[in-house]
Amino acid sequence: MPALRKVLYPARLLGGLLCATLAATCASTLQAREQLYGIYDSVELLNCETGFWSGQLSTADACYRGLLASTQPAAIKAEALWALGDIQAANSMFQQATTAAPADAVARIRWGELFMQTYQYQEAFNLFEEALALEGDNAWAHLGAARALQQGGDSDAVAEHMAAVDSGLAPPGVQLRALIMLVRTSLEQDQHERAQETLEEAFELARDNELSLLELHALQAAQAFMRLQPHQDFIDAALALNPAYGDAYAIPGYFASITRRYREAGEFYQKAVAVQPDHWEAHLELGQNHLRLNQVTQAHDHVRTSYAGDAFNPKAVNLLRLLDTFIEDMEVLNYPDPPQGPFPTLELRLDKDETGVLQDYARDLSERSIALYSERYRFTPKAPIIVEIFPNHEDFVVRSIGMPGVGILGVTFGYLFAMDSPSAHPQGESYHWGTTLWHEMAHVFTLEATDHLIPRWYSEGISVFEEWRTGPIPGRKIPLNVLQAMAEDKFLPIAKLDDGFMRPSYEDQVIVSYMQAGLVFEFIDLEYGFDKIVDILYQFREGISAVDAIEKSLGISVDDFDKHFKQFITIEYGEMLGQMPLWQQDHKASFAALEAENWQEAIAAAERANFVYPDYVEVDSPYIAMARAYARLDDKDNEFKTLETFWKKGGYAPRALMALAADYRERGDKESALQVLNDVIWADPFMEEVHVELGDLYLEQGATAKALREYQVLLALDPIDKAAANLKLATAYNTLGDHDKTMEYLMTALDIAPQYRPAQMLLLELNRAQGSAGDTEDTPAN
Amino acid sequence: MVAAALVEGDLMKPRMRKPTLPNLYLGLSLALALLPACAQAELYITIVQGLGGETVYEDQFDEQRNKIEAASRTLTATDKVSSFSGEGATRAAVLEHFRQLNSRMTADDRAVIYLIGHGSYDGFDYKFNISGPDLAATDVKQILDALPGRNHLLLNTSSTSGALIEAITGEPAPRDDAADTAAAGAPGKYLLIAATRNGNERNATHFGQYFAEALGSEAADLNKNNNISVQEAFDFAAREVATYFEEGGKLATEHPQLRGEGAAQFSLARLDEIEREPTGTDPQLDELQQQRLAVETQIEELQLRRNEMTNTAYIEQLQTLILRSAELSERIDAERAGSAETPTSTNGNDRF
Repeated sequence: MPALRKVLYPARLLGGLLCATLAATCASTLQAREQLYGIYDSVELLNCETGFWSGQLSTADACYRGLLASTQPAAIKAEALWALGDIQAANSMFQQATTAAPADAVARIRWGELFMQTYQYQEAFNLFEEALALEGDNAWAHLGAARALQQGGDSDAVAEHMAAVDSGLAPPGVQLRALIMLVRTSLEQDQHERAQETLEEAFELARDNELSLLELHALQAAQAFMRLQPHQDFIDAALALNPAYGDAYAIPGYFASITRRYREAGEFYQKAVAVQPDHWEAHLELGQNHLRLNQVTQAHDHVRTSYAGDAFNPKAVNLLRLLDTFIEDMEVLNYPDPPQGPFPTLELRLDKDETGVLQDYARDLSERSIALYSERYRFTPKAPIIVEIFPNHEDFVVRSIGMPGVGILGVTFGYLFAMDSPSAHPQGESYHWGTTLWHEMAHVFTLEATDHLIPRWYSEGISVFEEWRTGPIPGRKIPLNVLQAMAEDKFLPIAKLDDGFMRPSYEDQVIVSYMQAGLVFEFIDLEYGFDKIVDILYQFREGISAVDAIEKSLGISVDDFDKHFKQFITIEYGEMLGQMPLWQQDHKASFAALEAENWQEAIAAAERANFVYPDYVEVDSPYIAMARAYARLDDKDNEFKTLETFWKKGGYAPRALMALAADYRERGDKESALQVLNDVIWADPFMEEVHVELGDLYLEQGATAKALREYQVLLALDPIDKAAANLKLATAYNTLGDHDKTMEYLMTALDIAPQYRPAQMLLLELNRAQGSAGDTEDTPAN
Repeated sequence: MVAAALVEGDLMKPRMRKPTLPNLYLGLSLALALLPACAQAELYITIVQGLGGETVYEDQFDEQRNKIEAASRTLTATDKVSSFSGEGATRAAVLEHFRQLNSRMTADDRAVIYLIGHGSYDGFDYKFNISGPDLAATDVKQILDALPGRNHLLLNTSSTSGALIEAITGEPAPRDDAADTAAAGAPGKYLLIAATRNGNERNATHFGQYFAEALGSEAADLNKNNNISVQEAFDFAAREVATYFEEGGKLATEHPQLRGEGAAQFSLARLDEIEREPTGTDPQLDELQQQRLAVETQIEELQLRRNEMTNTAYIEQLQTLILRSAELSERIDAERAGSAETPTSTNGNDRF
């Protein structure tokens, strides 16, 4: 599973419900200190362990201290120190152990596992490798190496080490750990049958070899929970063995979290820390879960508790820093304010530096999407919808999954979603924040309408479908790699579409699955009507599977559905897919000709490309090459027509749209110019010129309040030309008859630029108007 | 140049007809500073255009020189603007020019030296590439040191030009990863501008093109006084360079730097045809212009004293003075027969 691979997909596409794919980063898969499962045969140590894992903590504590006072080998003392929570001393003691016994593979393995617990996976891996250098067939070392590698997502190397574990010669404890790993992976991938079979095998192995059943009971509880079955008996079974076993709850909590059932996850983690107050991982996950549920104060408390107990966890450090950002840098705005019901409809959490720019646009788009989705999905939100927009991409990623370095754009947790601000992406990068917001808002509705029981593909598919149908730039946007996958017949059967998100088998499969899911809804809408999409949606709330829901609502088998869907794809894209190599050739040729200043050839190649695939309107669209070439030939009409086509097909490259808006103005078509400029806002609201142009156009049309908003945003951008921005505000206020505000901004402009003639003239005009009105109060004397 | 950091402000609490303003950090472009320091002071401008090597660069450098010459003539008499280009731009000719200039200049005069072209840096020595022997860093330093007076400007648009600043100031050039190269730190005698942060930035630069453009651009004139100061032109060019690389998705290969103080008070061009001296033919117009200059001086003095008074008092006085200035401008406009054309600029970049 490529859990940690950094994936950057085209701007609008990646967002949503990522925890299933990024399970390893969304919540911890590690426990504080694991059971030994027979790696040592020291009777004294095993006595202490038995006490510890049966919940007799004070007895165990005394027992471990006894080991420290005895003449036990250094490795045993290291284990005692570890169990007593003194990680630094345990580390030193393992070092002594390996120095004293250079050929001791087990000490190295356990030292490696200590490093695993402190999140230093490379160091851990090195120690497992050292152990393997000493004993090439040591199954404990192979298992350790596999687990360390799993953190980095190197699935081939993991498989290689696991093959050594599976040789049949491994000790029962290793086999049990390996089975536990397999159960976890199966559950993470929603493969419940395999999980159940493996669990049964693990129980049998553990019982036959008198190994602990604690973790198995907890995993069984997790599986039952995921299948919407009673699970408390399994938790109780674990607690009967060890009343202080926090993982009895934390393990189901983890699986609740990665299946986006955050409310239940919070309850599990809360109980975990209740039975085991020093379960620092559970505190951390509980903290992060609180954050996902917008319970910031509680989040802070638990993350701090976790950090105090386990300062090694980088996730705790990241989250503490993020929480500082929340408190110091973010501003919360409620709409309507005051609320018109029991709670506000919308809560925006914006960076204070960006509030002046984003608040009106984010509110506008959020409110529009809430109204639309409420109607389309027959669901009225039962809590405020919280939209967080982060100017720092890594802050957003840490907020979402605790660790930085992942290429996501938006993540929805239920009534709350977080996303990148347009300012989080450098100029020139194609990030359409309006579409991201639209996409995430659809998740809010599909998650909450189904009590979070919706399959991943269904939720992502609806979000993509809504982007195309109702979003700020409607129209299907299919990336080239997805077209390539279509041409290679890589779409999955509907029954297995979730695999494309959760168990991707090739590099682009996640994005291919997003697009396939979106197209599935295009197909259902066309063939069966939109209501069927909603009918199916509501069946998930009852725990019905996607396959059963589709068959019930559409009245056909999923096999037939797949056949019909394939026909739909062939009709829609078949001809074009056959010509993709030609398109790619002409697309490339158009820009090459542009570079070579061969304008006619650039136009000809772009025309050929557009003939094959007229809907490709990303920032490197052939329309852009064509319009630039026409501009160089001073063919204004064709430049305009090309840009207009680009825009009408959903092109959003901000500079191209600015040029088109100017062309519309020149042609006297102010309405179209306004539409184009408003579209620029959803791509780049931080561009000063768009607010100047919009404000001026609104002012010309007598829409002074709208002009005022644009000029206020312009000033909030801290523009280079502050005098001009202040004068624009003064002019708008003067049109509105607000004398005080007019003077406020006018004098600010003149303070910056005393010789600014247009501002001077306005002052003179106001002064004369005042004089002619007979009002000489405060009129400056000449 | 105005930097508008809002320190404190009550913009949200305006009172009737007594608007309040935030305190602004003001860098004033004094009206009288448009001209050299005193009535007799002169401004001498020397433009040295180096070798382009290729037609495309020759054309670019020609265009930059023409723009700078035109801008310079808006501020000083034609005989005080000297240009060297092509075969005429030799080391000997340039050195001789400055020998003669030194004898003409007084300690009150100011000099502006533009070096437009390519430069080279071998890790030790910077050279500005001209016909025949290049102009070495030591030559440029000697030229500057020999100039009478102080507060002169040297602008070098060439590749590797940051190395020349290092040679002149004796201070190490900023590292390649230095965040801000527009720092002060030059000796008081000169203002120094280079297109690159050091001698390692060797690609042909875009800074000169944008700097020349700034001298005729209203967009560069942020304090709207129709006067382009060194600071305004530098800021404009630096912004355009940054935008050029950002929008092209390219790694920036040049980072302009400005060293020294007083850049906001040092004027390089006017956007309109302002009267530098009394016309002598229209006494009424001359009188009005003198009155307006006096008011503008009063405004600048008021702004310097703003912290000595309440905000209300400041605004009232500012408003009074600006109204007076506006009325004078209106009368001057009526008196004058025509108005100057605003220079426009174009470049060959794509709009999108």
